[in-house]
Amino acid sequence: KIFHLGACRVSMSMAEIRAGFTAIKANIQSRDPIRTLSILSHPHSLHKVKVERCCITHHLFTFYVDKVFKHCKTEDSFVNRKISSIANSFLSVRRKLGQCHEQNNCVCGEESTEKFKQILANYEGLNVTTAAMKSLGELDILLDWMDKS
Amino acid sequence: GDALLPAPQSISILSTNMKHFLTWSPVIIQGATVRYSVEFQGEYEREYANGSWIPISECSLTTATVCNITEDISATVAYKLRVRAELGATRSRWATMKGFFNRVTTSLTPPVLRVLADGYHLLVQLADMGPALQFRVLYWKKGQESRMQQKVVREVSSLVHLDTMEAGAEYCVKAQTHVEAINRSSSFSPTQCVRAQGDASMWL
Repeated sequence: KIFHLGACRVSMSMAEIRAGFTAIKANIQSRDPIRTLSILSHPHSLHKVKVERCCITHHLFTFYVDKVFKHCKTEDSFVNRKISSIANSFLSVRRKLGQCHEQNNCVCGEESTEKFKQILANYEGLNVTTAAMKSLGELDILLDWMDKS
Repeated sequence: GDALLPAPQSISILSTNMKHFLTWSPVIIQGATVRYSVEFQGEYEREYANGSWIPISECSLTTATVCNITEDISATVAYKLRVRAELGATRSRWATMKGFFNRVTTSLTPPVLRVLADGYHLLVQLADMGPALQFRVLYWKKGQESRMQQKVVREVSSLVHLDTMEAGAEYCVKAQTHVEAINRSSSFSPTQCVRAQGDASMWL
């Protein structure tokens, strides 16, 4: 599927990523003890972000690649394989977003910077494994938001 | 106890139509059944997870010398694959496939199709080639190649209606396989032509 994020066009196998996530969603979310907090949706829903979509998408894919997936190793081989599948897909998309950024097609302004700061604060407010598992469990929030772009 | 058992050789990947298989030559130990285990490593694991390897459980302690790695090669990045032999408690060293494998290099074959004329209706039936593949079907009235039309078929479940034909006219069809995830297509299938029922002179 081709995503139009402002001037940036990115092709992404959304169906494959969703299939991989759906296969492990229940398992991952069962490892998240704190149901009252959110990484992506606190204090405001990601869906409130209407502008600078490319920048926030680039920030979030970098966030998942750099900070989240590596702290989600489990004892379950099937889950680990699906996480690897998602992580490698995110790496592939993040590279394309990076190219848009280099070509100045991925402008970052105040709104996206503020939103990403909030997400990082939410993440760093928890211990790393809990935060990583919670973030992974919220992946469909990001995917839904992208699908609505 | 690892050094006594030789490592598998001739490791290679057969990849056709987005189905990927790792194969290797057997390790022969007289009177014994040697088993094998396979692991993979994506670009993410190399760059962000300390070069870690992930076992493929379906190919752990298998006696086969082939492993279906399709489910795990599910991103368009460079993967490394390795396999080792095991006999009881003895294990060979890991044998790692030379180079990388990226699914963008899969070989794509043209679809198998059957073209039918059902009265005035031009129909095509396509063989299912797996979820990752879709088909681009081109069809035209013979002699009017310039007015070629196209239909993209994603779900291969039954007959696909292409067009309503003029009586007695001949229509031709060809198709190619397309994979969105890697943005590549196969060559076209041979062209097949059928004739609609009725008398062409009706249209003069």
